[in-house]
Amino acid sequence: MDYGACVVRVRSAVGQFSGPFASVYRHFSLGDAFPFVDFHVDIEPGAGFRRWVRPQSRFLIDCVQPFDPFAASHALPHYEWGLNWSFAQRFNQYVLLHAGVLAVGDRGLILPAIPGSGKSTLTAALMLAGFRLLSDEFGVLRPRQGDFLAMLKPVALKNASIEVIRRFSPSAEIGPTFSATRKGDVAHLAPDVTSVAAVHQPARPAVIVFPAWREGAALELQPQAPEQAFTRLAFNSFNYGLLGRIGFDAVADLAAACPAYQLTYSRLDEAVRALRSLVTVSSEGGANG
Amino acid sequence: MAERLPQPLAHLLAILQDPQRVEGVALPDWEPVIRLARAARVHATLGHRLSANPHFWARVPEQPRGHLQAAMNFAAWRRHLLDTELRALDSQLPADVEVVLIKGAAYHAQRLPLADGRLVADIDLLVRRADLDVAEAALIEAGWCSTVTDPYDQRYYREWSHEIPPMQAEGHALELDLHHGIAPVTSRCQPDPVVLWAGRRRLPDSRYFVLDPVDQLIHAVVHLFQDTELDGRLRDLLDIDAMLRALPDDGGEHDALAARVGMFGAGDLFWHALGACQRWLGTPVPAVLWPSPPSHMHVALMAWMLPRTLLPRLPEEPAGLRGSLAAKAAHLRYHRMRMPMGLLLRHSLAKGWRRLRLRRVR
Repeated sequence: MDYGACVVRVRSAVGQFSGPFASVYRHFSLGDAFPFVDFHVDIEPGAGFRRWVRPQSRFLIDCVQPFDPFAASHALPHYEWGLNWSFAQRFNQYVLLHAGVLAVGDRGLILPAIPGSGKSTLTAALMLAGFRLLSDEFGVLRPRQGDFLAMLKPVALKNASIEVIRRFSPSAEIGPTFSATRKGDVAHLAPDVTSVAAVHQPARPAVIVFPAWREGAALELQPQAPEQAFTRLAFNSFNYGLLGRIGFDAVADLAAACPAYQLTYSRLDEAVRALRSLVTVSSEGGANG
Repeated sequence: MAERLPQPLAHLLAILQDPQRVEGVALPDWEPVIRLARAARVHATLGHRLSANPHFWARVPEQPRGHLQAAMNFAAWRRHLLDTELRALDSQLPADVEVVLIKGAAYHAQRLPLADGRLVADIDLLVRRADLDVAEAALIEAGWCSTVTDPYDQRYYREWSHEIPPMQAEGHALELDLHHGIAPVTSRCQPDPVVLWAGRRRLPDSRYFVLDPVDQLIHAVVHLFQDTELDGRLRDLLDIDAMLRALPDDGGEHDALAARVGMFGAGDLFWHALGACQRWLGTPVPAVLWPSPPSHMHVALMAWMLPRTLLPRLPEEPAGLRGSLAAKAAHLRYHRMRMPMGLLLRHSLAKGWRRLRLRRVR
């Protein structure tokens, strides 16, 4: 599997894995022709009698199982979660922001957010409205180049978001719903053909938007000063502290180069419209970059 | 010595020795090289050796270079954590206790090139036997507590080991090992504490000391063979290799080292370490350093065991019957080195009995 930022070889002997996997990765091409694989993952059934009684799925990277097994029926969310963990552990050559990243052309929209702020829902809606999706979980910032790589995974929608996105776009390709995971109900939105085809096109950051969904709120876009944006970006990073000076320089450059806004919204369609004009307008202004 | 190593391992060892050898490595070859380096925890070291020369660094394709850069960034962060801990420990340890940094902390504090990319796992401190209790009490006062709660294991450490059980402090990433010696109490290698302490040197502008460079080398050898189970210890071999290469070649240091090896009874261990360095890392070994060889049987056993346990292998690669036998033998040998036979029997019985009891309780 080619995610853009990394290539993963996954093998599974868990029956309940391959169906959902094929569904949410439907536009990816499967192949073993990659000259270099970054992660070697196995999804294995439980050992011994656990193969038959309440079967399990075990996540192994390099044949080591870093955490407890899940129920076999949750093999896909387990894989998705395990891969996120592995990526965050190992890929410290990049600044890893907790952010959705989308693009119009090569103009990137960065959506850093704390969990629970509706980032995934907004990211999903933007992709369904024609933005190219680079990632939902990881904003993969290359410190030297200052651009973002795709880490293109299915968007994990939680609880009410699943229905919200179905209503937002009836054509949304959503995999099976896994109920009662650690994060409640989870279903994955398949990345679309356009995003998959462009998985090796990095995006130049054009606008940073900190989204916050609030019930019944009128749409509001509030400009953020660069120093404010800097702090919020650093705070929403997996490895800012670890990278020391590399992280500081990269995030400072990003905050200095891009206009930043706080977005408060309640209606997805309004938010999508506002963000589209933001990305296009900043493009016409030709500013910064 | 011509020997047939699996190709990725041969590539890894070749590049570690001579970064120029990167020229012959194509992208598909890199995948197992990176995985082996990660398994042996030498990937950040590999990155440093390559990135020291922009020409060789540019020869590394983007994907493996990313892994190496990530490892170097991670290693730099661990060194930063180590600095922070050493600063904090400075005020936590009693001012009148002399504290010697050993292993990773010592290499780091002396800014030895071998510390670049060496992944710091814990902080190793050495104090005099007489200062052990007061140092331990001060650490406990400062929030460090033992990771070993089992009374049997506690007793083993205190009676038979050269360190107290590892300590942890809440919210601290690194473990702390407090030593009162550099070789297990039962080891045949018994450094004279007076000689060892007489060779210490104070680090500039610091409360901390390090051992005499020759003692640091002997300690690395003892550590490789007696402190660990040999599994994937290529990193320790790299430490020894780097320190050997760094000895000034005017002969004085070599003579001093050879004399010290003899005095501390580390001849056999040293002979094996020199052999392994020479064989796999191409370390130049001056004739004066070679101790007299161990017994034939000992040599044959180690020649069979070392390549099967010390060198890394790919995660999927089954150890094979010979490999797992060698690992068992290495495990036995490790315990044999740390305990006299009577104690080893008692220890095995106690552990076996406890395992049985635990099983029944479950």
